[in-house]
Amino acid sequence: MKIICLVKFTPDVDQFQYDYEKNILIRENVKLVINPDDACALGFALGLKKKTPEVVIEAVTMGPLNVTAMMADILRRKVDLATILSDRQYVGSDTYATSRIIGKYLETADYDVILTGSHSRDGDTAQIPGQLAEYLKLNQISQIRKIDQPSMLNKRALVEVDSEKYLETYEIPLPAILSVGRESNYRLPFVRYDDLDLDVSDRLRIIDNDSLAVDSKKIGLKGSPTKVIKSYPIDYQKKEQVIVKNDDQGIDMVMAFLEKEGYL
Amino acid sequence: MTKEIVLEGLKKLLTNEQINVDADDLYDATADRYKKYAKAKKVLDNPSPCAIVYPKNSSEVSDLLMFCNQNQVNVIPRSGKTATEGGLENWKELAVVIDGKNLNEIVNIDTYNMQATIQAGVALQDLEDELRKVGYTTGHSPQSKPVAQYGGLVATRSIGQLSTLYGGIEDMVVGLECVFPNGHISRIKNVPRRAGGPDIRHIAIGNEGTLCYITEVTIKIFKHFPENNKFYGYLIKDIDTGIKVLREVFTNSYRPSVARAYSEEDARQHFYHFHKDKCVLIFMAEGPQAIVEATGAGIEEAVEKFQEGIIEQVDSSLIEDWFNHLNWSQQDIDDEVEEMINNDSHSGYTTEISADWATVSQIYDNVIKRIRSEFRFADDLTMLGGHSSHSYLNGTNMYFVYQYTINCEPEDEFRMYHHPLQTIIVEETLKLGGSMCHHHGIGKYRNQWTRQEHGSAYYMLETLKEAFDPKGIMSYGNIYYQEDAAKYQQ
Repeated sequence: MKIICLVKFTPDVDQFQYDYEKNILIRENVKLVINPDDACALGFALGLKKKTPEVVIEAVTMGPLNVTAMMADILRRKVDLATILSDRQYVGSDTYATSRIIGKYLETADYDVILTGSHSRDGDTAQIPGQLAEYLKLNQISQIRKIDQPSMLNKRALVEVDSEKYLETYEIPLPAILSVGRESNYRLPFVRYDDLDLDVSDRLRIIDNDSLAVDSKKIGLKGSPTKVIKSYPIDYQKKEQVIVKNDDQGIDMVMAFLEKEGYL
Repeated sequence: MTKEIVLEGLKKLLTNEQINVDADDLYDATADRYKKYAKAKKVLDNPSPCAIVYPKNSSEVSDLLMFCNQNQVNVIPRSGKTATEGGLENWKELAVVIDGKNLNEIVNIDTYNMQATIQAGVALQDLEDELRKVGYTTGHSPQSKPVAQYGGLVATRSIGQLSTLYGGIEDMVVGLECVFPNGHISRIKNVPRRAGGPDIRHIAIGNEGTLCYITEVTIKIFKHFPENNKFYGYLIKDIDTGIKVLREVFTNSYRPSVARAYSEEDARQHFYHFHKDKCVLIFMAEGPQAIVEATGAGIEEAVEKFQEGIIEQVDSSLIEDWFNHLNWSQQDIDDEVEEMINNDSHSGYTTEISADWATVSQIYDNVIKRIRSEFRFADDLTMLGGHSSHSYLNGTNMYFVYQYTINCEPEDEFRMYHHPLQTIIVEETLKLGGSMCHHHGIGKYRNQWTRQEHGSAYYMLETLKEAFDPKGIMSYGNIYYQEDAAKYQQ
């Protein structure tokens, strides 16, 4: 079985510091990390591969070449093949153009199932999996909390989906695009100590638009129909910090606070 | 020899109640706090011992050691179980933990001669509680005080938080009884001092279970004057100022019981209620009123001399409050393990070194600089700092403290974080002539530098091992590097 996992690298927004005086995010030294939903999808795939070693996993991303080191780390986590779709012409692509680029690659790729995350953490977008499904004429489902491992191998995936009100179970014939949510808690394994410096260059490939040959009018800024009317930053409120002593007065203050907030 | 045969042999020496083969307890005995994260996550890859045994007297210890010696069974002496450096970790397929639990008698408290005799399994806190009832103290107060037991304290050359007044455990031990692998029981008598050849107490003190099993110790006790305690605290410009004030106090022959200088980072976690992102310097003066007054005056005089580095004095009640909540209990240890089981993340460790006054600040700076620039996972560090907490006439210790978010599998944690960090600290210390371990013992993960630590004197250490444990059955891997066991370290 061949699984393609689509991954995106996003700023680690959990580690942002906030300048409350200027009301801006401090972006210096913020690392890129695998989008958490994508990490869960990849974690599921690697879990399946651990139980069924013949499963082959390819990770695919679109982005600048500075993600190469992170894709190499994905390979060190036991992924078989990594593909980076990267070209200057792709800069500024919205989700529609991005779906077109990735879709063009996937048209020629070999797979039994495509796994993605449900949401992207940086812009809270969720369009790519659906747009890709449209492009590839595949079924797609988001907000997956659980995938039944044996069903994947039987080519009809049983998935549990969080529809906010209910947990629903669907059976989907493969190939399909299965989009996993962070709540699934599928854990992406770390690179093992012995593999930290493993040479993976022979399993990492970079594909540019000379190879992919997407119409240059349909990619980048000029190929992106999305028009942003308004954007606004999240208004973070500085939390008040109160330090109390470890005495009766301090304990009373903590108890009163917990009662006020409804914890007691 | 198989595990089953070892157990059969043990059953001939002890009752069934004295032999523990419970799977959870054996797993717990597989490693100590050096691998606390991997242990909590149940992924330890070194062998578990065959059994934990609880002898009731020296004679049973002697029988057990002879049996293990004859059959090449590794022996891990244990009492208190607070080891942090791998000293209680097992690296042999056939191993027996000899636990001091049943050696738990306070044999004698002799206030006239100012000494107390206790068996190896007596908890420090229990003896302290007994002594306090009659107005005395052990003077020994490591953070592990509520859990630690005397056998372990003496075997690892423990030190307490009041060491600058009362000394380390080596200054307190008057005499002791220990048992060697051939079954011989040695008693070192209790006298104020003697010039009867080399001081043989020091063969047992700090042997880390590699030469003998300590069954009983006699220690000094001290009159206790808690009502006279005075506390002093200062925010200071940098840790070097703190070291200079400490030096001034000690070289002028004052002996406060607590004397510590903290880096900003370390101060932040200890003194959250007043640190103001500055380094912190603290003292406690203890003893009879006149000595406390004189010590306090000496502290103030030293602070005055380095006034340019002192930012402000801190309310002394804040220092007293901090001191009264310093120790960790068994509950704290259990809570930490529970936290690590439930969450994939944070862990903190320490590495303690010592050096003379002239080089300790340089070592501190070199270590911090090298970790920041060289340590591969420096981005995962959530805290890196240190403090000096035990000072002497000719120098002080430095307690490096580091915490990090664990971004690796539990099996790899010590290889990716703790050991590389400890390696930098040890290398920088040895480079400038300091000692790589001040009071935790060498354990198993600093044994690769034991030869370098001792230089030409390693001959003496090596010869002790050959003489007392020629078959190498005692605490395999502690202190002495073992090529065959390198797989557990790398």
